Amino acid sequence: METKSMKQHMGMRTANTISNTIIHVLLVIISVIWLIPFVCIVLQSLRVESTWQVGYILPKQWGLDNFRNLLNTNFPKWYLNTFIIAVVAAALQTVIVLCMSYTLSRFRFKLRKPLMKFMLILGLFPGMLTMIILYRVLKDLGLTQANAVPGLILVYIASSGMGYYVSKGFFDTIPKSLDEAARIDGATRAQVLWKIILPLAGSIVIYTLLTGFMAPWGDYVFASYISFGNSSGMNVAVGMYNWLTPDQINNNYTMFCAGGVVVAIPVVILFMCLQKYYVEGVTGGAVKG
Amino acid sequence: MVAGLEEISGGTVEIDGEVVNDLQPKDRNIAMVFQNYALYPHMSVYDNIAFSLRLQKMPEDVIYSKVTNAAEILGITDYLMRKPRALSGGQRQRVAIGRAMVRDSKVFLMDEPLSNLDAKLRNQMRAEIILLRQKLNTTFIYVTHDQTEAMTLGDRIVIMKDGYIQQVGTPAEVFEMPTNLFVAEFIGAPKMNIVKTDLVKEGNRYFVTPCGAKIEVAGEKGDLLNEKNVKSGSILLGVRPEHMKLTFEAGADTIPARLEVNEMMGSELHLHVFTADGTRWIVRVPTIDLTAQQRKSLTNGAQVYITFEGKVMHFFDPETEKNLIY
Repeated sequence: METKSMKQHMGMRTANTISNTIIHVLLVIISVIWLIPFVCIVLQSLRVESTWQVGYILPKQWGLDNFRNLLNTNFPKWYLNTFIIAVVAAALQTVIVLCMSYTLSRFRFKLRKPLMKFMLILGLFPGMLTMIILYRVLKDLGLTQANAVPGLILVYIASSGMGYYVSKGFFDTIPKSLDEAARIDGATRAQVLWKIILPLAGSIVIYTLLTGFMAPWGDYVFASYISFGNSSGMNVAVGMYNWLTPDQINNNYTMFCAGGVVVAIPVVILFMCLQKYYVEGVTGGAVKG
Repeated sequence: MVAGLEEISGGTVEIDGEVVNDLQPKDRNIAMVFQNYALYPHMSVYDNIAFSLRLQKMPEDVIYSKVTNAAEILGITDYLMRKPRALSGGQRQRVAIGRAMVRDSKVFLMDEPLSNLDAKLRNQMRAEIILLRQKLNTTFIYVTHDQTEAMTLGDRIVIMKDGYIQQVGTPAEVFEMPTNLFVAEFIGAPKMNIVKTDLVKEGNRYFVTPCGAKIEVAGEKGDLLNEKNVKSGSILLGVRPEHMKLTFEAGADTIPARLEVNEMMGSELHLHVFTADGTRWIVRVPTIDLTAQQRKSLTNGAQVYITFEGKVMHFFDPETEKNLIY
């Protein structure tokens, strides 16, 4: 009996080891494939022997010339533009989304359900559809070309309230009795949101901030449209794209790669710093569970 | 509705003579203990209790003395720096009460505060709530499904069914003189025996005739029937299990019955007996009233006789289910 069960036990252990090994090998392969483009770009950005595309990956001569060259272009201006847009848009968008989600999660008002459905359907249409009219409106307001930065901020936060789904879903999981207790304790609705709900929803706040930052940071289409060829209103994606025109690409290719690396840095830092906030279980102990 | 968390559908709510229908919860000066405690999980016990005081912008030293004082009363001083998730159910319950205590409010609302606790802790906390109420000397509104809590904690009990008030009264009143069948069956455990029978009036005397026996309605109850001039007819007769009597020999006003279930509760026996017409009666007999031999004979299927006195009966209209002499 004993040997049999031990054998079974051993059998299960080997099976576990085998499946674990397979899973890990697969994951390693996937991550290598995933990383190849990034590694290539980093390597290209450090190549100084030529500025055009070459048929090999490892540079023959290493150096930081490409990064130095970036400073002699409009790149710093574009970088600053993008940074301002992304930070302001992320901050405003987060405030709007969180207020929206809290309202939809906690208040019961007429047309609440229809409003949510309406926003869902509206959200199904691609944002690109609004591009032309947005351009006209912003042009009338004088917020295109050189003034594209405030114009783009407006575009990014304009419909951000419609992205309430994730945070509303999270707010719904926070017991309503916490709100009620706080309100009886003398808190206003705003105080409930700031002092009770948001501290419990830290991961959602971070998530909203991150997504709010990422979208403008990497945007090309709207940014190119609204800056409309004016270099001082461009963000990095649009500005750098102009380096890649057929007559320019051979002079700028490695610098383009260096720009790409610089663009990636804040995102990498953000994710590394903030990922620890993606923890569950912050609501433990609120109610008997 | 009382707290202001829900809209009032009709009528007015007054606290201390002031109509509060349109006041926000924070302006009503009430404190509430929730069924699930609703502690703020990201704050320590101290901060939980101090939360309302800080919102009132009280000076920190006043807050400190109030919180430590409340913690002292509730015996949670050692846990003040812990987070709610590191507390047991009973401790969380105390924190929730503490949070309500420091408010010095006019009304204390308690929404089934003990229902999440185990039986032993519940008894202990119940006693503590009674003490607390004596100490604070404010109005408590206490919602419960547990009639023991209602009877022991209440000065006045409001019994509600489907949102409608059935009866308002002191614990003794609702126990002795329930307005209708619902209240009669709700208060008291095991619940009151209800049997359909006839009320017979002979001159000034009333009799009930359950299962062929004829028992006179005596004392106050008989006088009340006379006073209300109740006519003979079909009624629902109610007798509480503790007012039932068990005998082993047939007598003038006894009803023969067969024992089906014998529940030994320790200090008393709950006997479920069936009479010939199929009615189930529950009889509560103190264990000490029976000899060892009698106790042994109370096996399933045993033949026993039951009866009850005239003064312990309740009479309900079979149609409206209202108490005939209320």
